Amino acid sequence: MDKLSTNRHISGQFNAELEDIRNRVLAMGGLVERQLEQALDALGALDAELAKRVIDGDHKVNGMEVAIDEECTRIIAKRQPAASDLRLIIAISKTIADLERIGDACVRIAKAALEKRNNNQQPLLVSIESMGRHATRMLHSTLDALARMDVESALELHREDARLDKEYEGIIRQLMTYMMEDPRSIPGVLDVLWAARAVERVGDRCKNICEYIIYYVKGKDVRHTSYEDMEKDIHR
Amino acid sequence: MGKWFKSGSPWIWMTGGAVSLSLIAVLGLLLLIAWRGLSFFWPADIYEWKLRDAKGVESTLIGEIYDREQVPSERLITAGVEFAEPPGEFVTRYLVKTGNREFVGLDFRWVLETDIVSRSTPEGIALIERSKNGNFYGYPVAVIENGKRLELSDVQHSLEEHIERAVDIGDKATTLQKRDIGAINHELERLRLKERRAELDGELTDSKKHEFEAARAKLQADYLVLEKELFSLRDDAGRDSVIVRDMRGEEVQLKLDSVLDVTYANRLDFIGKIGHWFGGVANFISADPREANTEGGVFPAIFGTVFMVLLMAIIVTPFGVIAAIYLHEYAKKGPLTKMIRIAVINLAGVPSIVYGVFGLGFFVYMLGGSIDQLFYPEALPSPTFGSPGVIWSALTLAILTLPVVIVSTEEGLSRIPSAVRQGSLALGATKAETLWRIVIPMASPAIMTGLILAVARAAGEVAPLMLVGVVKLAPTLPVDMNFPFVHLDRKFMHLGFHIYDVGFQSPNVEAARPLVYATSFLLVSVIVALNLTAISVRNHLREKYRSLEH
Amino acid sequence: MISIDSSVMKTEALDLENLPASETALEIHNLNLHYGNKQALFNVSMKIPKKRVTAFIGPSGCGKSTLLRCINRMNDLVDNCKISGEIRLHGQNIYDKAVDVAALRRNVGMVFQRPNPFPKSIYENVVYGLRLQGLNNRRELDEACERSLRGAAIWDEVKDRLHDNAFGLSGGQQQRLVIARAIAIEPEVLLLDEPTSALDPISTLTIEELITELKTKYTVVIVTHNMQQAARVSDQTAFMYMGELVEYADTNTIFTTPTQRKTEDYITGRYG
Repeated sequence: MDKLSTNRHISGQFNAELEDIRNRVLAMGGLVERQLEQALDALGALDAELAKRVIDGDHKVNGMEVAIDEECTRIIAKRQPAASDLRLIIAISKTIADLERIGDACVRIAKAALEKRNNNQQPLLVSIESMGRHATRMLHSTLDALARMDVESALELHREDARLDKEYEGIIRQLMTYMMEDPRSIPGVLDVLWAARAVERVGDRCKNICEYIIYYVKGKDVRHTSYEDMEKDIHR
Repeated sequence: MGKWFKSGSPWIWMTGGAVSLSLIAVLGLLLLIAWRGLSFFWPADIYEWKLRDAKGVESTLIGEIYDREQVPSERLITAGVEFAEPPGEFVTRYLVKTGNREFVGLDFRWVLETDIVSRSTPEGIALIERSKNGNFYGYPVAVIENGKRLELSDVQHSLEEHIERAVDIGDKATTLQKRDIGAINHELERLRLKERRAELDGELTDSKKHEFEAARAKLQADYLVLEKELFSLRDDAGRDSVIVRDMRGEEVQLKLDSVLDVTYANRLDFIGKIGHWFGGVANFISADPREANTEGGVFPAIFGTVFMVLLMAIIVTPFGVIAAIYLHEYAKKGPLTKMIRIAVINLAGVPSIVYGVFGLGFFVYMLGGSIDQLFYPEALPSPTFGSPGVIWSALTLAILTLPVVIVSTEEGLSRIPSAVRQGSLALGATKAETLWRIVIPMASPAIMTGLILAVARAAGEVAPLMLVGVVKLAPTLPVDMNFPFVHLDRKFMHLGFHIYDVGFQSPNVEAARPLVYATSFLLVSVIVALNLTAISVRNHLREKYRSLEH
Repeated sequence: MISIDSSVMKTEALDLENLPASETALEIHNLNLHYGNKQALFNVSMKIPKKRVTAFIGPSGCGKSTLLRCINRMNDLVDNCKISGEIRLHGQNIYDKAVDVAALRRNVGMVFQRPNPFPKSIYENVVYGLRLQGLNNRRELDEACERSLRGAAIWDEVKDRLHDNAFGLSGGQQQRLVIARAIAIEPEVLLLDEPTSALDPISTLTIEELITELKTKYTVVIVTHNMQQAARVSDQTAFMYMGELVEYADTNTIFTTPTQRKTEDYITGRYG
């Protein structure tokens, strides 16, 4: 099937509504991406001021989720979308839930940045930062794929998540070593562990969003399937 | 002004005016005919005039005023009328119906107002209606019963009683003559035809001949008995007579068997006059015509008109409906169908007399002649169906009105929503079943409309009928008590032709004029009655088959 | 234990291309139809399963009504209408010369766009088809009348006035009466040609409700302009465009993930 376009409906109002909701999702994505960057910055620089700003910014993300969700409900009630339109609304409705969760993860990371910690924990934070940059890149690419409804990059990103998971595992091993070495450091290490966990979840959420992109474009529900099956479905 | 034009009101006025004009024309026509026709039955005052002409000769005149007019005196003078003293520019003159035809020659007379000395309405004057020689005006003086003169104080009462008796006996005689003797004549004729038939078939053996003779002798005997009875009744009716003093002052004896009624018009009060009027109208509708149609009623004409129209309706409806169904439902839509349809519509424009000629040539001579050859050879050379008759009239008018029925039926068929037809077809009905069960019932109001138009046209047609069946005076109705009861070969009377006959062919046109109006009014009433019946049937059907207009 | 697939929401999807004969009500094969020189249907082939609701959707003039009318040969009424190809009912091509059209139409009932009751009483409307078959037994007719009116979910509304004129009913009631009339002769297939397009929304819902009940006994084929209606009542949907059958599939599939671009554009309301 060739590329879907949302702007050829007979009803111009419907076009405008769909365009508007897509833009708002991308705007929300942009906001979440910035939150993530700032949270990671705050963690890296232990900037309490920035971390607070990130935490305060989360309500904006939540507000956007609620507003877009309402808009989705309204469109379903009024327009009774079918086929690709229906899939778009469903995908958006799910995407924003995941974006909101990413927003929550940012808060968690920012909270970790607020914790007082001694200097010997600094290397831990560096490794988290590198993983965080990776997650940020992934989120950016996901949002990019969402904007272009690009199945191929969505598929690529889906695979990317496994690499992020590997990194996470490495960090955990590192943290476990720390904890074994110095039991007094455990509370601080746990905070870092939480942050790492949050970053890892960002990757999972991105993977979900990629699945929604594939669902929207291909009409196939690829959740809980192996990568090979997914690829087969898509390229059939 | 321009604004007024733009507002559209001139249009409304123009269209409204056109409608009012048509309405006035129709109402005026009906009112004029009704007034002229119905006032004829109102008992007029009977006057006695004392006249003195220019030479001083005095005379008496008794009669009803029929008409009055203003005549320029100059014209009268050039016509040779003399005046005792010079008249004004105009002179009024009256047309007086004097009656007493056998004594005074003309029963109508013009009287100049200048000649009139005095005018009175004596109560003793009576109008005597007779079955011969028209009315008689005069003073009844005495009644003669069985040759003996009865001198009575109350002549009116005695006279009315004697007339009633004579009329009763006369009615009996008429019934006897028409029904019983008529039946025997009919039997005799049938017997003759049977015998002739047998003769033609070569089966007339001696024994059969004897049988016929015996039957004939028996009928002849019956006939003689009845004839004797009839004669005695007639003698009985002519037993009495009345002595009347007429305007010449002479006493005249009138036999009561020719007297129908006596009216002391000047003695009647208003209610009496109304009663007399109703009696006159009823008599006009129910009685047979007398004296070359100028007197009496028009019952046979009413009957003939209605019978012929109904017969025509029975013939034209199935034909027209079937033809329309073929044209609309089965015929392929092509130039040929179109041509046929145009031809059918144009048939309606052919002058009706042409149909008369066609009916005479085709129906009467060809069809009727062949029927006579095939089925009634015993009656030849006198024709049975081979001469004009009511069936041929009905057939001719059926052809005349066929286009109307076809066109309106087709219109009705095309108005039926195709959804209903398809609904029927989708339930497994064939086309014929759909037509029969759904389409024709739904088209029946339109068929009735066609029939209404056909009846209206047919009831008013006279010209073609004159060629194919209408006569001035038919001795018998097309329906009677003799087998086979309905005689489609008989000639019949028609109101339209009656009007023409009375108005233009009667010996006394002046006397007949009110009758023309009365008959015209009756014709209109008959047509309106026929149409109203059909319209009420149609409205009923319309209500029943109210189509899918919601 | 609650099963994962709810049986209320979903009828099992059939493999429409390889439908076994025992489940096929109608098989349309390479059907072409011309009105004069204009071709209205192009090589339509499809199998319509038994006791299910099949909807034809598509823009005006796409041939969906024409296709429907082919199934009970209503197109025979149209002059210069030429048909090639086959429609098989019980394996018998209904366009065979030997087929009695009236008998076919008794087997394949039809309900039209506008309610078209006959100008007769409600009772006579319902038993019309039976009377055509020569049935005149009063008791049998009464029974058939009640059964059909109940089947069309209108019995309770009209049982007290069976002998009133059918025109006294409302539009929705008339349409259900017409459906009762169609099922009185117990057809196998019921064709509905935009049955609710002349009705108000509430009457439309009653008819839709009725359609889902009808499929327990009859094979229903419905043409509709209302896509939501097709989505609500039908089990499989055929999308037609310019006389061609573009896509024919399970209704759930058509309305969520159609495979053809034209279908997608039509049901989502895009320019064709």
